[in-house]
Amino acid sequence: MSDQTALGAVGLFEKHRAELKASKRTMNLIMLAAFLVCLALSVYISQFYPERLANGIPRIFEYFGTIIPNLQWEVLFEGRTEDGRAVAGSITYWYTDFWTYVTLIWETILMAITATLIGTAVAFVLSFPAAANLAPNSWIYWISRRFLEICRGIPEILLALVFVFMIGIGPLAGVIAIAIHSAGALGKLFAEVNENASARPVEGITAVGGTWVQKMAYGVVPQVTPNFVSYALLRFEVNVRASSIIGFVGAGGIGQELNRVISFYSDDRVLAVLILVVLMVTLIDLLSERLRLGYIGRENFA
Amino acid sequence: MTLATVSAVSDAEIAAIRESHPGVFDTPGKLIKRWGLWVVAIVYVLWSLWFFDIARFFETSDRVLALLRAFVVWEDMATWQYANIYRGIAETLAMAFLGTLLGTLGALVVGFLAARNIVTFAPLRQLVRRFLDILRGIDQLVWGLVFVRAVGLGPLAGVLAIFVSDLGTLSKLYSEAIENIDRKQVEGVKSTGARPIQVIRYGYLPQILPVFISQSLYFLESNTRSATILGIVGAGGIGMIIIERFRASLYDQVAFVVLNVLILIFAIDWLSKRVRTWAIGAQQD
Repeated sequence: MSDQTALGAVGLFEKHRAELKASKRTMNLIMLAAFLVCLALSVYISQFYPERLANGIPRIFEYFGTIIPNLQWEVLFEGRTEDGRAVAGSITYWYTDFWTYVTLIWETILMAITATLIGTAVAFVLSFPAAANLAPNSWIYWISRRFLEICRGIPEILLALVFVFMIGIGPLAGVIAIAIHSAGALGKLFAEVNENASARPVEGITAVGGTWVQKMAYGVVPQVTPNFVSYALLRFEVNVRASSIIGFVGAGGIGQELNRVISFYSDDRVLAVLILVVLMVTLIDLLSERLRLGYIGRENFA
Repeated sequence: MTLATVSAVSDAEIAAIRESHPGVFDTPGKLIKRWGLWVVAIVYVLWSLWFFDIARFFETSDRVLALLRAFVVWEDMATWQYANIYRGIAETLAMAFLGTLLGTLGALVVGFLAARNIVTFAPLRQLVRRFLDILRGIDQLVWGLVFVRAVGLGPLAGVLAIFVSDLGTLSKLYSEAIENIDRKQVEGVKSTGARPIQVIRYGYLPQILPVFISQSLYFLESNTRSATILGIVGAGGIGMIIIERFRASLYDQVAFVVLNVLILIFAIDWLSKRVRTWAIGAQQD
């Protein structure tokens, strides 16, 4: 007589269930222990002790209190007086440097556009040799893959730091840093799109004796362009955010002003710049989403 | 019947085809539409490069050469204070871990508040969502800078910056996961006469937990990456060591630290991919 008949079907099921439950419990206990060890280590290393946090939190609220503008309703829409001075408590007073901010935001957007265009161009060229199915040979594939990996591996702001040192403070350093990073990130995405492209048009062009460049230009590009455009627009949104903070290391744009007002003053100017940055990012996102949907929609219905 | 070659097609036939299939042939308008965008893009790039003063890029000075040399030639490697560097890396990981953990815990609460099928009172939901939009709209690095001003230099500011920006993003993702659950499972559990807490445990949790876990693990990965640069604004971690040594003109050490950071990032990428497949695979079995 074997165990199975002695226990019966129900008994066997219960036994198996108990075994599974026990093994799951041990696994959960191990995971919990590992988690607690990580937590304890993290708290110790970053000195994230309750009393430090308790000291810090009131200061955070205090700080946010100082950056709120002291607006007064009676004079809120008051313009400048004849001698060009703004009335305290009005929006004009709060946004005294409004036109400086606008110029910098304009610069930020230009930085993002230029960096996206340059990054897209580089990514476009490299995405064909970096696609496993299209690369002319394996070492070109390997080199372009590694190159793209390095480009996107280094954080933009570190690149910007180096370029600021090399070519001086100003937007050019930021543009180059963001362009390099975009090339790496987009190149990977583009290469993946290329790998999913149908091989038939390429085979057709091979059959009539096309060169590698012709195969790419007439066999692959028409299939992948809609995806490329949509990825590039998405990247543009990311780049607008990046160029608004890259000024922290002196690489131009509104970030430079943001860094200045946060580091040197703790008054309503901080909030003034922050509001403009958030507005800019939101507007660009909306605009780019419109463009993207419009473009994809047109492609689908054509 | 023979196949027509190009030379065999007479001018009259071409004209007839032009007549019957006007869409196939280029017209000036079409050509302008096709090439116009390219011209605009190229003109814009050239103009903007001039605007950004590209000429400066080619004025290589001795500084640049010294910098490039220092990235490759490493000197006095015995005096590099490795303990400091690896402590910074450990601090970066700790910041990412704590920030993600706090963000996850916060998002567990806020995510439910922002879900349409949980909070039916629209004004409260909208208020929570707009608040989350603001948290997300401000970059993590800006939060870092703000918290450095508020609580001082060090990892505490970094943890808070990661926490706040994660709270914004994770809550949104969580609330979407909660909104997308299958009602049938919840109703099924309810129909067996389960208590509310049991409905959540057996109706909601099995559906949302895999999404929550995989999102949080993904954020742990991306936060490790962003925590390396939070130090540039003084919010602790390896970034602070990079910027200190950069300011002290110790470029060879900067290159070494950056190399370590790159290795760390690639290792985290690899590890997180493994953990994610393991966690999600285990859930599906």
